Amino acid sequence: MPEGNWDGTTYYGRPQLKPAPFNKWLVGGYVFIAGLSGAAQLLATLTDLRRGRAETNAVRRGRYLAMLAPTIGAVCLIADLGTPQRFYNMLRVFKTTSPMSIGSWALVGFSITSTATAALQCMADRGRLTAWFRALARVTQIPAAGLGAVLCTYTASLFSATSTPRWAAAPFSLAVRYASAAVASAAAALSVGEPRRASLGRDLDSLAIAALVTELAATMAEQQTVQRAGIDDSWSNLADTVSAALALGLFATSLLLPRQRSRLLSAAGSAIVLAGSFAMRVNVLRAGQRSAQQPNVRLSFAQRG
Amino acid sequence: MDMPLRAADLCGNDLDGVIPNESELTAGVRIVPGRSYGFFTDTTLCIGCKACEVACKEWNNLPADHLGLTGDSYDNTGALSANTWRHVNFVEHGVRDDCGTPGQSGWLMMSDVCKHCHNAPCLEACPTGALFRTEFDTVVVQQDVCNGCGYCVPACPFGVIDVSTLDGKAHKCTLCYDRLKGGLEPACAKSCPTNSIQFGEVTELQQRARTRVNALHGAGVKTAYLYGVPDGPGATGGLEHLNAFFLLTAQPESYNLPRAPTRPANRVAPSLAAGLTTIAALAIAALSFLAPRKG
Repeated sequence: MPEGNWDGTTYYGRPQLKPAPFNKWLVGGYVFIAGLSGAAQLLATLTDLRRGRAETNAVRRGRYLAMLAPTIGAVCLIADLGTPQRFYNMLRVFKTTSPMSIGSWALVGFSITSTATAALQCMADRGRLTAWFRALARVTQIPAAGLGAVLCTYTASLFSATSTPRWAAAPFSLAVRYASAAVASAAAALSVGEPRRASLGRDLDSLAIAALVTELAATMAEQQTVQRAGIDDSWSNLADTVSAALALGLFATSLLLPRQRSRLLSAAGSAIVLAGSFAMRVNVLRAGQRSAQQPNVRLSFAQRG
Repeated sequence: MDMPLRAADLCGNDLDGVIPNESELTAGVRIVPGRSYGFFTDTTLCIGCKACEVACKEWNNLPADHLGLTGDSYDNTGALSANTWRHVNFVEHGVRDDCGTPGQSGWLMMSDVCKHCHNAPCLEACPTGALFRTEFDTVVVQQDVCNGCGYCVPACPFGVIDVSTLDGKAHKCTLCYDRLKGGLEPACAKSCPTNSIQFGEVTELQQRARTRVNALHGAGVKTAYLYGVPDGPGATGGLEHLNAFFLLTAQPESYNLPRAPTRPANRVAPSLAAGLTTIAALAIAALSFLAPRKG
């Protein structure tokens, strides 16, 4: 090969890669829903293990919230296929080299265990054999929570395990970002329904704060890595940083206020976390597709061995 | 019983009008299942006639992408796509000053194609198993399995494979899988009038290519090098080698090729581990926040 480094030449400025043919609303929406549902199931299980008798309402809401992924999430995914009537071919094989395959199986497993848990919850609420149904739900929630953890993390792996520069540049920080955003959104969503006089709402807000701090740190680390790789993506990360910081401030202030007056602030924080989390997924998706269409970004990214 | 006939079921492939093992006559190689086949595209021989593009479209019955002029030299094809599996690049390097005849244009032409990577990222990404490795060590999409999820598209480090808007399935070069089954050389290689596209066994082609590079270096073309052979540019980051590789005379980027592509599957485990570790840490935080309270 000729000596020296790339001099910036492109082939008539034409893209070197093809962008992922994903609809940003459907797939971005799915990633958000998968994170929310998976983490909601996880938090419901943790709450049940810790405060099962005291917090049955929160556990119920978490289990029902987890049904978003098997329903709306699955519909979004199938709708985005080029040949939707063949969606079941996702279950022909299992490949550890493909996060799309890992995720398909995780979604199926999560759907089965979460639907079972939600159904048992529903039966227990109807009043007959309540103790039995409740006990069974406490068993099925364990695999559901485990698969929920996979569901809210594999999506970052799905994006990083591509040749798209923006996604491939920072696999670690993107994974931390997605995982913490999922926990923040689920904690925020569950906190909304909590009566303020009880302590759980404030505990969930504290958890959301921890998750948002993690997310902010990961976003900043990612920004550094992506910039070092020669990809300019400050705008979408800025939007995410601002929304996360704003929600963080609202939750923190609400914790300092007396319980009765904190409700509105906490609810506003939750709304911003949920909207921001959704926007972040769409932004990351769009930024990746854009980076694949910029030959100078791609070709400079593919310099390092 | 009525069974559909496949070329492999016909011993001696005595199909009407097909010469048995025709590839021995046209490419000097017998096509045997279990061996690795590929292309060696020698761009110093390419004259930009696009016979490969036409032969590919004809044999594979592929529709046109667009009819029009791009204004970018003679490259009116644009790029490889779901319907275009050979694409001739035209790189204009101004006027040559390294040859005796004045006014010669420094024109580079290169017929681009699917690289049929050794560790093919599209194949590794495919969640349905539609993309598979054939008995000829090539990478092919099974059209009756693909559900058009499109995950192979961002996986490919060369921007080759794409999902067709016509049928909602992924398409790319099959290295003429059907022709190989019938003992025929792939259409593009057979149609190439200058032997710029050479079909054969990969190890044999690599040897031939190294000899060619040495000959070119001896003739004064010091810039000649191979793209896609083990440890060379294009075969980096865990891709090992490309079954369809190239002899180039300018930097890879001039031909829209990445210098150091990587294997995306190498990022799956680190990414999953980082995500699950984060979840575990936050779950522990949750357990402490949710500690049972009195009263």
